[in-house]
Amino acid sequence: MATLYGYVGKIARINLTDSTVTHIPTSNYVPKYLGGRSVCNKIFWDEVGPGVKAFDPENKIIYMTGPTTATGIPTGGRTVFTGISPNSYPEQYAWSGIGGWFGAEVKFAGFDGFILEGKAPEPTYLYIEDGEINFLSARNLWGKLVHDTQRKLEEIHGNDVKSIVIGPAGENLMRNASITTSNDNVAAKAGFGAVFGSKNLKAITVRGTGTVIPADIKKILELRKKMGYPQAQPNPIHHETTHGMWGNNIPVEGGWLRGQVACSHGCNQHCNKLMLDMKSAFKEEKVNHVEKCVSIFAFGYKEDCCWVPIQTFETKQNHLLPCKMLSGEPLPPDPTDPHFKELYDLVPGDIVNFWEPNFDKGSIINDLCNEYGMDKWDVIVWLLPWLSMGKKEGVFDGIDFGMEINVESEEFIKYLMDSIVYRKTYYGNLLAEGMARAIRALGKEKFGDTIYHGRYSQVVPGLRLDLPISLETAWGHSVHWQGRGFEGAINKPGWVAVNLHQMNSTRDTQTIAHHHDTFDNYLAVKDDPCRHPLTAIAVIKGENSAEIKDSITCCDWQSPNLFWTDMEAQMFEAATGIEMTEEKLNEAAERSKLLFRAILMRNYGRDREMEVNAIYPIMTYPDPWGQTCTWEEWNDLVDLYYEERGWDKTTGWPPQEVFEKYGLHEVADSLKAIGKLPGCR
Amino acid sequence: MKDNETLIQTGRHVTQFPADVSLCAGCSSCEIVCSLLHDGVVGPSYNRIFVERGTISMIHRIYACQHCVDHPCYHACARKDQAMCLDENGIVYINEEYCIGCKRCIKACVFDPPRINYVKSSDKSKRKAKKCDLCRTRPEGPACVEFCQVRCLGISDLPDERR
Repeated sequence: MATLYGYVGKIARINLTDSTVTHIPTSNYVPKYLGGRSVCNKIFWDEVGPGVKAFDPENKIIYMTGPTTATGIPTGGRTVFTGISPNSYPEQYAWSGIGGWFGAEVKFAGFDGFILEGKAPEPTYLYIEDGEINFLSARNLWGKLVHDTQRKLEEIHGNDVKSIVIGPAGENLMRNASITTSNDNVAAKAGFGAVFGSKNLKAITVRGTGTVIPADIKKILELRKKMGYPQAQPNPIHHETTHGMWGNNIPVEGGWLRGQVACSHGCNQHCNKLMLDMKSAFKEEKVNHVEKCVSIFAFGYKEDCCWVPIQTFETKQNHLLPCKMLSGEPLPPDPTDPHFKELYDLVPGDIVNFWEPNFDKGSIINDLCNEYGMDKWDVIVWLLPWLSMGKKEGVFDGIDFGMEINVESEEFIKYLMDSIVYRKTYYGNLLAEGMARAIRALGKEKFGDTIYHGRYSQVVPGLRLDLPISLETAWGHSVHWQGRGFEGAINKPGWVAVNLHQMNSTRDTQTIAHHHDTFDNYLAVKDDPCRHPLTAIAVIKGENSAEIKDSITCCDWQSPNLFWTDMEAQMFEAATGIEMTEEKLNEAAERSKLLFRAILMRNYGRDREMEVNAIYPIMTYPDPWGQTCTWEEWNDLVDLYYEERGWDKTTGWPPQEVFEKYGLHEVADSLKAIGKLPGCR
Repeated sequence: MKDNETLIQTGRHVTQFPADVSLCAGCSSCEIVCSLLHDGVVGPSYNRIFVERGTISMIHRIYACQHCVDHPCYHACARKDQAMCLDENGIVYINEEYCIGCKRCIKACVFDPPRINYVKSSDKSKRKAKKCDLCRTRPEGPACVEFCQVRCLGISDLPDERR
């Protein structure tokens, strides 16, 4: 049999109801569906029809590595989960990426991925070792915090195993519960930790001694030196005397220790900020944890995130990936660039005054999220700002949370999180359902839409920027690079594009896509971004890049590179030996996107009307310049997007010929049979 | 640590610098390039350098052969000078063609964990020991050192130069 380079050849179907395992050849799906999210989309389309809810045993969690996983190609260690998301509002099919060493170990154990289906009769964990999958009792693990669970599994199986686990949040079906690897990497966005909980699945532990054989070693070594412009340089532990970023930077008494660590197997970056000897929410001793993008706001949130155009709009001379500065080691800028000044023109974030800087309290918030196993985004940039803003506006007057609302207080934060994770109180139980559902249960008009009067622009001094107390965008997620609220100082050409990404999704797209475009395009669209095809074209490129990233697999810190456009094709070729071009990769991305679209149409009735109405409200609030988007502007941009996609403008549905162009005849036939192709309505 | 570890006189070997010089990022580059360049595969049984991951602390340690001056692994080999060999620079290396997978070298290693890896296989002919040879035939030197993105690895007698 010819060597299948890059992949290891089989996917495990794991039935938790009857503790059975069957094997599916990976070649049933690849290379047509590449790997990662694209394979997941195909499996979900084939196997999960309409009517299934997130916590039904019929929901499936599909986990896939990519062809680059464990080949040594940088960022290949990232992998993907998909399934029906309990955190999406309404519940829909979604996905979530994760780093760590788990994905590589799954391949060493002989699997390219697995399909989790059914529900275990009692608390269970899976132990996978070199092709054998064992169903073991998790009675002694149930109830344990995330790190305690990781530690216990290493005690049982040896310290060379790799585990993904859920914490109490997942066990108690908190809708934004995460799945966590051992180095604080999480799949959190979709709330799949709660789906694990609904299946009585506490953890998956794996050990593998097998191999992954890549096709082109010379090329892999070349990619290791070139991708993401890694700078091989010493990485000493630094003693820092302050913490935070511009607008929220605070002195830290006694200082703190910072390191930088990679998030996944084989990565050649070290983007994650390792915070050493931090205050724990649960124990006397100090703990280490990693700080990623959103964590920084736990420590202090007086001002919103600032922004420089180069984070979104790039030239060949100067191009950074978003938040590359997390590592503190961006390449020095090239000042000879004619657009240099505009690219690095720092836009200060809005004054928001959510909470005063407090280093220990920030550490407590992060530790609570890590150990309970829950999405930091929902806590740090939605739940806590909602409490802060709502209290200042008197929204919670007369409501008894059981303790006075005070987001400045460690004790209140601990009490609140405990109430939610263990569903201890009426409001804890309500908030465990996620912000979108809780606010609607309380009454959205008052508890979501009440205007906060404390946000002020620093771009236009003195300008008050009305903002609802709930930072909700669409599909049950908080705003993210959308020009208002969290990470708000982005201008209109940037945020309308981000909203278009979000409109077509079921989750926060910016944690995996971050909108990119060239500065030349920015200059062309900046005066009227909603009526220029280049805005829509850039969004489509970004969406397709995201499909590729989650399929090959890659990471948002290194991909896409707008000026090395065949990088992912080179990665795929190096891993598999299968000839790949940019054009073919883009076709595969379109195919994956169409499958995702078809699932949303068939299972959840997605169409244009649903989408434009879900995303539009947030754009009626002002950005830092005081700008908003009119209904007409927004719909003009949506028209352009559907036109560029080749989809029907009235319904937002791709027509039969588009599905067929990308080899999805049977998908088109299925949609036609249920009246969901354009013209069928 | 075994009782006798501190008594061993080590030779020129790959070493991890302390965290104040450079912190290991835990990326596994060293393990990956080691097995890629020696065997054309990536797999935990094939690398000759080991990352011991602090899965909770996120502080990681690198283990590699210390190239002991009295090289007990070499002397323990059932096929000494065929399987386990000693080159003109004092580097002990494995000629896998002749390795019978008896594990005597692993048992003889004075370090805990042993610095010699082992390929398990149902096919006895594929059971082989794997040991750091300092990439002795590679002009650029040890690949793990070259590809360490955070420069936390070096050669034992050069740490002062790194600083």
